[in-house]
Amino acid sequence: MGEFKVHRIRFFDYMPSAIRAMAFSTRTERLALARADGALEIFNFSDNYFQEKVLPGHDGRAVEALCWVGPRLFSAGLNGEITEYDLENLRPRYTVDAYGGPIWTIGVNSQGTLLAVGCEDGTVKMFEVLKERIQFQRNLDRQRGRIISLSWHPSGTLIAAGMMDMIRIFDAETGRATHRLVVDRGAGASKSKEVVVWSIAFLSDYTIISSDSAGKVQIWDGLNGTLIRTHLITKWDVLALSVSQDESSLVAGTSEGTVVQFQFLSSTVDRLDKDWVRTRTFKNHSHDVRALAHTETAVVSGGMDTQLVVRPLLDKVEKNTRESAIRKVSFPHRSLVCCAKKAGVLLFQFPDHLELWRLGESDGYGKPGGSLPVKRGPEKLIQLKRKGEDHICCSALSPCGGWLAYSTVTSFRLYRLLNGSISICKVSKLPKDLRPAHQLCFSTDSSKLFASSSNSSVVVVALNEPECKYLGTLKAKYGCRQPVHLLSASENGKWLATANTDCEVHVYNLDKLKLHCTVPVYGSCPTAMAIHPTTSNLVVVHADQQIFEYSLVKKEYTEWSRRLQKQGLHSLWLERDTPITHVTFNPKNPAHIIVQDLFMFCIIDKSLPLPEAKNVLYNQMTLRSLPEPDRVLHSHGFKICKDFQHLLCVSLLEDHSLVVVERPLLDIVSQLPAPVRQKKFAT
Amino acid sequence: MQGGGRVRSRSLSVTMRRSAMTLQNNMAKNQRGEAAPSSRMTGRERQMGGFSLLLESSDDEGPEEVTFEDSKADARRSMKRALDTARREKELLKEKRRKRQELFQEQKKRKLLSAEVLEEIDSTKQEQSHVKAAEEEAEPEEVEGRKRNWKQNAARNLKGNYTVTTVKQSTLASSQLKAAEDFLHSRMYGPGSRRTTSNEMLSLENKMGKNKSAAVQFVKKNWACQKKAKAEKLKKTWIHMQQIPSS
Repeated sequence: MGEFKVHRIRFFDYMPSAIRAMAFSTRTERLALARADGALEIFNFSDNYFQEKVLPGHDGRAVEALCWVGPRLFSAGLNGEITEYDLENLRPRYTVDAYGGPIWTIGVNSQGTLLAVGCEDGTVKMFEVLKERIQFQRNLDRQRGRIISLSWHPSGTLIAAGMMDMIRIFDAETGRATHRLVVDRGAGASKSKEVVVWSIAFLSDYTIISSDSAGKVQIWDGLNGTLIRTHLITKWDVLALSVSQDESSLVAGTSEGTVVQFQFLSSTVDRLDKDWVRTRTFKNHSHDVRALAHTETAVVSGGMDTQLVVRPLLDKVEKNTRESAIRKVSFPHRSLVCCAKKAGVLLFQFPDHLELWRLGESDGYGKPGGSLPVKRGPEKLIQLKRKGEDHICCSALSPCGGWLAYSTVTSFRLYRLLNGSISICKVSKLPKDLRPAHQLCFSTDSSKLFASSSNSSVVVVALNEPECKYLGTLKAKYGCRQPVHLLSASENGKWLATANTDCEVHVYNLDKLKLHCTVPVYGSCPTAMAIHPTTSNLVVVHADQQIFEYSLVKKEYTEWSRRLQKQGLHSLWLERDTPITHVTFNPKNPAHIIVQDLFMFCIIDKSLPLPEAKNVLYNQMTLRSLPEPDRVLHSHGFKICKDFQHLLCVSLLEDHSLVVVERPLLDIVSQLPAPVRQKKFAT
Repeated sequence: MQGGGRVRSRSLSVTMRRSAMTLQNNMAKNQRGEAAPSSRMTGRERQMGGFSLLLESSDDEGPEEVTFEDSKADARRSMKRALDTARREKELLKEKRRKRQELFQEQKKRKLLSAEVLEEIDSTKQEQSHVKAAEEEAEPEEVEGRKRNWKQNAARNLKGNYTVTTVKQSTLASSQLKAAEDFLHSRMYGPGSRRTTSNEMLSLENKMGKNKSAAVQFVKKNWACQKKAKAEKLKKTWIHMQQIPSS
């Protein structure tokens, strides 16, 4: 097969940000997630939980709450502003200052016409949702404490607001506060601290469910303003609540990392007296759970341990199928590492800076599985801090290591690296058409830069020393609105392939700067793609783990691809839950395709037979134990290596050595904030 | 015999009652003014007389007779003693206070001295405020030594490389944001939040997990470097100490 010298890199200090808020839109099956650094992520739940879009964060945009109004996404933050996002251009559309101090919560009524925000100064402000903007309508009665949480009654006539030590019920039409529900403080030491009603839900039968910092979930009668039931579920805070669409199930997230489910059931069989009963407890997090969403079939939770966990409920899905497996998303579904193959230089993208590292050297020889002595260690060449308050959206490094580019939502910067990537100087004269981009890519001969722009178009710029010349814009067919998230240039400089979040893959002819062809649309979003250097076949991998190979010259699927589709991929391959984020090729063997996801990398050998359903997929270990002649009989085309875990990038350099960038999960967990102290027996 | 102990205690209590009764009689006599000299005695003396009676009540004999003069002299002596001790204590405190005051004044003088020097220099060069701030932190000796050089270089430092910038004004929104974040942080991580460290949590997992292993700072090589270095040093000194007596 092949022996590779592996550069095993673990000095990429990637640190994800804590999950702060989330909102699920049942109509579009999309989950919007807000992180502590202001970044927003959109997950497509119908497409294998693929992270479709990432909107970079902003210093000072401390998002506290998210809200979907139809297809539109609104957020409110501690900077006192309500922001609407443009999901086609991956940027905020506009911001409206609420003039009430930090905003703690946002909620829309079921008709989608009014947006209510709860502010620090004690007012609930109502905004009208208009076609292109929102407009301030009025304030409800001002209260003497901050409004931490609010919930609309499904009829749109009442609003329940959780504050410090109490819950207020407002009449939405008159704005008067009608009822005041007093929440008990905790026992013991917490008697002196005010209790914060972190989350609240108003159900259609006028029941209010509240969760507070004393660890209680309380059930109130909203019409009379009385307490029905108290459930003490934890010693710490209950930070989040989420009710299912049909109001039969409710989940509460605590500071311990547990998610407790309550269901509206009757204790007897005859279904007369239904009550909220505590049913399940899920412990999927090690730190506080700060955001919850209850979809029809699953409970989605996220918090300070930065992982998104989707737990399907076993009474809604079939047991022991792929659907019922728990899903954890810990790393982004896109590449943050760029490898310059000719120069042996790596670019790491952080939200606020970029790092350039040169790989180390070793010239020892060893056995497979052993480590070689390092002659010269890796060294950090450049650390480039971004300018301005917006976080870095995308970055790229040219294969020769001479050019570096990055883009935020407001600016674009290009740098020239000299003296073996040690000194850096900014290229100041950029063409006007080069606007902030969603994705960047350099051509293999480092002569051109491709930057994706709005409406799935790509701007082509020629790289020259004093001034870069604008060469042209590659436009997709009319009607493509979604942003491009994948760009791939061929090695001979003739082709450029783009993929957008609408699952459309376009291929352009760079000599004529025109659209060459469009790959037939497949239902799942592409997660990685690359163009083969010699055969000019485009290999596309999708979120549902399907692989296609398309011949650009003949404009049809290749024979191998058809064979693969006919036989079908191995079931273990399809059951993997992390998407392939990188596709590359082996210059020494044109039949090889190297693909990588979070837990493994695989060399697909097209000349070998495809694995059948009864074959063992992960057979590398067993093959090694067999004698030479037998190996040929049992081997198949998918050679999977799981030696390196939590892979962020796998790349093949020109000298045929493999670069593997790992990020062990333990290193991330060790840098998380303090978890709660749980007293366990015998510790 | 079981009853013996009880009999003894009964006799004791009888004695006490008897002596108490006699005490009461004496006191009653005193109160009634039967003995004329008793009116001259102060209440305290009477009580003290009473106390002396109580102390001897454990004997079976009757109380002793104590003359008035004796008890008067006794009382006067103890009073004088008490007054003396109080006076001595006051004087001691005064002494302490005086000494402490002197010490403070000395320290103040020392401090003032360095400030004086600086003010002298500063009066000649008004604009160099930032340099003065740096100098104030330096030791007095250093200031003394550098004074001359400083004066000569002062003229050059004026035109030196320093820039004047305005402090970035934090807006109302950002201060409110900071206050809100502080509130959130204090509720979640502030006092009373009962939190532990990631190290402890991971170490507990190691201890309770399926494959039990040591705490994380011993498992991972690059954790708790300072503690490990300190432990190494301590080990070396201990070994050194062990070797010295033997050699």
